[in-house]
Amino acid sequence: MITAERIQIPNVADWAGLFRFDDDWRGASGKGVSVAIIDSGIDVLHPDLVGKVASSVEARIENKKVAFDPSDDGDSAGHGTACAGIIAKIAPDAELHSIKVLGAGGLGDGMAFMAGLEWAIKQKYRVVNLSLGTTKPQFFAPLHDLLDRAYQAGCIVVAAANNLPQPSFPSVFSSSLISVIKSEETDPLNFGFHYGEVIELTAPGVNVRTAWPGGGYRNLTGNSFACPHIVGVIALLLEKHPNLTPFHVKSALHSIAMENLNKSV
Amino acid sequence: MYPENDGEMSEKIQRLIETIDVANVLTDPLTRSIEDLLRVTAADIGSGEASVLVRDGDEGDLRFLAAIGKVAEQLVNIKVPAGKGIAGFVLSSGQPMAVSNVEEDSAFYKEVDKATGYSTEMILATPLQHDGETIGVLEYINRKGDPPHTPFTPDEMDRAGRFASAIASLVYAYESAKLFRDLGDKLVEDNEKFNIDEIRTWLAEFRGGAEHREMMDLAVMVREIAGRGEAERQMCRELLESVMRYTDSRNEGSFLGTE
Repeated sequence: MITAERIQIPNVADWAGLFRFDDDWRGASGKGVSVAIIDSGIDVLHPDLVGKVASSVEARIENKKVAFDPSDDGDSAGHGTACAGIIAKIAPDAELHSIKVLGAGGLGDGMAFMAGLEWAIKQKYRVVNLSLGTTKPQFFAPLHDLLDRAYQAGCIVVAAANNLPQPSFPSVFSSSLISVIKSEETDPLNFGFHYGEVIELTAPGVNVRTAWPGGGYRNLTGNSFACPHIVGVIALLLEKHPNLTPFHVKSALHSIAMENLNKSV
Repeated sequence: MYPENDGEMSEKIQRLIETIDVANVLTDPLTRSIEDLLRVTAADIGSGEASVLVRDGDEGDLRFLAAIGKVAEQLVNIKVPAGKGIAGFVLSSGQPMAVSNVEEDSAFYKEVDKATGYSTEMILATPLQHDGETIGVLEYINRKGDPPHTPFTPDEMDRAGRFASAIASLVYAYESAKLFRDLGDKLVEDNEKFNIDEIRTWLAEFRGGAEHREMMDLAVMVREIAGRGEAERQMCRELLESVMRYTDSRNEGSFLGTE
């Protein structure tokens, strides 16, 4: 892995007030914004999610390729429901689409979720919640291509960063997607910004209480629960400004994060 | 004592590969080391129980390989189907995760608790990764002492991630040793019987270290495969060449030359 040396960026204070994004998104509900959740499926009958999941599909292998069929199989692991619950809390009117890629036997780890990502781009979903990753080097190039396609199609991919010792794809591709890491913050809209090996946003991801299959709730910790917080915020931004490109969205998130940081100083 | 004569040496080695209980020689110390590490790291995390799950087959199923704690013995070899439960998610997503109120409702994958009679309240699960592959899952279960228990913290999660890389190396070594063992079993299956006691005595006198024995093991195995015919020889050569290409390529990190 080739890593660039860290570039010095200006102090947070130097950037304050440089850009300012309208506050109108704070009153939005994500109405009319399609959000794909590439995960373990969603329990569509959970009280927090009833009527919010517009479609559910499930991966199936066909001649060593992946096909997607409509699914009423729910959630095999709980994770997809947990992410959907977080998004629905922030953007209650967003249109959720479940793309189930976990639990399908015989699929290569990376292959299933790459197919899921390709499916989401083809369906022209505006935001993609990708709490999954792979550390397999052979997926580096194909994932890069897919994320470029998403970027050009205006599809905003948000991935959970990985703070394990080994780099995980695609969250290290910081130019073409939005990478999120967990913080102990509890206010869902009070997200932050972190410049490290990759550029990341920080969002609540510690002991987050959210929906779990079967109608219950769980307190969960992990970067993969920080990711849907940012997805929810993007749905709010897109409701008010439907024509934002991934580049605009990143800039907007950055300026809001800076404002949040300055408020807390 | 090394045998003096080449022919005698080769005969002894042939018999050696046929008789060593490769399962015990190679894998037992590794499972013990994994358990030792689980014990030390669980104490650091403040948890009473810990376990390692590894892939079982190619479909994403998991199997408990090692465990410490009250129900350790019952846990080993229990299987978890692909994508089920927290461990299934962590394996397929590569993402660490902590859950602090597992018992609260009915959707939790309870088969493991049912089999052991244990009650899981909290889980901290992190993937075991080796050379870009997720090879298993490391789990810490419940806090020590009386309730109420505080949830696992982000700092503990980060520490578990670091422990996982050490444990992953051992798990990888275990899995490789098991592969050799299975291959060795296959090779000796059809061979005729011989005097085990004589070989054991010779082994006891053998002065080479474990690493040396492993090298001999490998050499004899390659010879055995090569002796099976042209097609096997060709396959063996191709496999070994691809391993060499792979390890060569791993050593080339940068396009820039060194000064």
